[in-house]
Amino acid sequence: TKIPRAQYGGRNAVTMLPGGGIGPELMKYVRDVFHFAGVPIDFEVIDIDPSTEGNDDLDYAITSIKRNGVAIKGNIETKSEELGAVSRNVALRNELDLYVNVLHCKSYPGIATRHPNIDVIIVRQNTEGEYAMLEHESVPGVVESMKVVTDENAERVARFAFEYAKNNGRKKVTTIHKANIMKLSDGLFLEVSKRVAKDYPNLEHNNMIIDNCCMQLVSNPYQFDVMNMTNLYGTIVSNVLCGLSGGAGLYSGRNYGDHYAIFEPGTRNTGTAIAGKNIANPIAMLNSAVDMLVHLGHNDHAQVISEAIYQTISEDNLRTPDIGGTASSTDVIENIMKVLSKKRVHWQHG
Amino acid sequence: MASRLIQRIVTAPTSGRGFSSSVRKVTLIPGDGIGPEISAAVQKIFEAASVPIEWEPVDVTPVRQADGKFGIPQAAIDSVNRNKIGLKGPLMTPVGKGHRSLNLALRKEFNLYANVRPCRSLPGYKTLYDDVNVVTIRENTEGEYSGIEHEIVDGVVQSIKLITEEASRRVAEFAFQYAKDNKRSKVTVVHKANIMRMSDGLFLRCCREMAEKYPEVKFEERYLDTVCLNMVQDPGKYDVLVMPNLYGDILSDMCAGLVGGLGLTPSGNIGLNGALFESVHGTAPDIAGKDLANPTALLLSAVMMLKHMELNDQADRIQDACFEVIKEGKYLTGDLGGKAKCSEFTQEICSKIK
Ligand SMILES: Nc1ncnc2c1ncn2[C@@H]1O[C@H](COP(=O)(O)OP(=O)(O)OP(=O)(O)O)[C@@H](O)[C@H]1O
Ligand SMILES: Nc1ncnc2c1ncn2[C@@H]1O[C@H](COP(=O)(O)OP(=O)(O)OP(=O)(O)O)[C@@H](O)[C@H]1O
Ligand SMILES: [Mg+2]
Ligand SMILES: [Mg+2]
Repeated sequence: TKIPRAQYGGRNAVTMLPGGGIGPELMKYVRDVFHFAGVPIDFEVIDIDPSTEGNDDLDYAITSIKRNGVAIKGNIETKSEELGAVSRNVALRNELDLYVNVLHCKSYPGIATRHPNIDVIIVRQNTEGEYAMLEHESVPGVVESMKVVTDENAERVARFAFEYAKNNGRKKVTTIHKANIMKLSDGLFLEVSKRVAKDYPNLEHNNMIIDNCCMQLVSNPYQFDVMNMTNLYGTIVSNVLCGLSGGAGLYSGRNYGDHYAIFEPGTRNTGTAIAGKNIANPIAMLNSAVDMLVHLGHNDHAQVISEAIYQTISEDNLRTPDIGGTASSTDVIENIMKVLSKKRVHWQHG
Repeated sequence: MASRLIQRIVTAPTSGRGFSSSVRKVTLIPGDGIGPEISAAVQKIFEAASVPIEWEPVDVTPVRQADGKFGIPQAAIDSVNRNKIGLKGPLMTPVGKGHRSLNLALRKEFNLYANVRPCRSLPGYKTLYDDVNVVTIRENTEGEYSGIEHEIVDGVVQSIKLITEEASRRVAEFAFQYAKDNKRSKVTVVHKANIMRMSDGLFLRCCREMAEKYPEVKFEERYLDTVCLNMVQDPGKYDVLVMPNLYGDILSDMCAGLVGGLGLTPSGNIGLNGALFESVHGTAPDIAGKDLANPTALLLSAVMMLKHMELNDQADRIQDACFEVIKEGKYLTGDLGGKAKCSEFTQEICSKIK
């Protein structure tokens, strides 16, 4: 299914939600690079004030994304200590029914890590499970939190994982679960993945319990290819894999539904502690921007920017401190633009 | 020592526990598969170190009870209840329906509310990480393991995670007391209260409140995802971690992975009615009975047990001898890349005990 997108005179309109922490500075780099490279995209920037109790900003953002079809975002904080307050990131995904999150963790040569050459795709259920946020205090001091698994969503995610594997020349899908303990909920998730696997006889399908999976990830990550899992296990596996291959500042994550798409850094950090210091790694957000360009069909722009990122990190060795370098965020961006300026002539637009 | 904490929690008089008499009885559940071999190894090493304990071996193979259900034999339950302390090898969990996991049954029977798993890099056994020294403390009685699940309508299933103030508070107290007793400097509570605001929020609140009672121990709050990210990059950031059941299950296995797997990591279960120390690995049927198993995990669990009993001198001597043999690298078992038999490794430890 093709996701609709707003286009005006050959230019796309895209909603931009900078979020908190390092979000705003990273978005500025995205705009600078896009401007420099003449990318035909106009951003509709919406700031969501984390300290307000109401949801006016969020409602406005949702309306904007529904209009444009596509958004790029940083992590949005929910400051409210109000127990009923819902995480705005979750609200956004649920409201737009972005039922799947995809993170491709592929190591960059040159960054020192304990395990080199990792190449794993994480496909994660993105709207239910442990993030259902249905909780209540039955009696004082006793809280129940509901985890919801539905056949429909488990099927959509599994289907996505197998399709993705098929279309990208992957060989194996591993479903991650804890069905030995959560026999009904994770049991359903696992059962559905086995059902869907039957439609893909050319792909291998196996399954693994989440605790063993984490132990396997740190000792031998190479056994994984495409991974399919529920929401909470997704955040765990994403962070472990990103941690193993360079950290929070490199990889992008994609959120898809049947109608909309949102692009954001893979591990969804706010980075409050490093904000405003010119040390945040701009690559994860730039990679999200590249994903967005691919999604919108601007493949040439996507490719040159992606190549410029690769050259800057792996060949020119310009890296921020989180990946072992000494460069500032702006050093990295300037180098990316320098590389871009040499390639500019080949483009049709801009 | 953690035992002091138990004494405070248990309402029964502490005089009957026999911790002060010269020879103490300890229940031993050798277990299945490689269990008997590694238990024998531990017994031999304890003998070499003249540890003043008397083992009381019991069989926990499920038997049919009066109500027709299968369960742990009463004799085994009585033994742990009498001794208040036990060491346990791996147990086979029969696949299929019928009995519930024996491990789970033991946990319930003895109210083992906290699971403690120290993970540290061993000098001499090279892994990708050489700076790991963390202790995970996991709430062991509720959370995602509540077992409450239902199908609301066809194709829609829900599982309930249960968090109570009582269980959260006692595991938090255990964590801080453990940190203090073991001269650890920091406790990190691992949570996801940004999403699970009420349930993890309650757990978090209990930890915050307990932190105030232990001003000498540093306290920090971290999201589960951030801990996953940082742990594999720089495990030196963490010291003692306390968390709800499922997060503990996952993180403790992951930390074990950092230092080379389950063959080396000990574990202790602290309860209201006693404490049970165990190796976390399985029964390893592929090598059972062949004198190939590595007894280190069970031995280090037994060392934890000695510390719990305040037999610190014996604990240190055994641990030093074990680390020494691993460091020398001459008598390593197959899982550590060596060629030694379980008995040879054991003999070498015995000869090194000072
Ligand atoms: N783009 C980035 N560049 C460099 N480091 C980053 C980046 N994003 C995240 N990090 C680092 O990853 C770690 C986790 O991120 P972060 O602190 O945002 O986690 P968090 O759980 O979202 O916390 P908070 O909401 O308090 O910021 C931190 O050490 C942070 O500095
Ligand atoms: N103490 C040990 N010494 C040497 N090798 C071990 C030890 N424990 C586990 N192993 C190895 O690790 C592998 C996995 O073993 P483990 O028994 O833990 O899991 P398992 O096969 O699932 O058993 P179970 O069903 O009892 O949990 C085994 O094949 C075994 O070779
Ligand atoms: Mg975060
Ligand atoms: Mg486990």
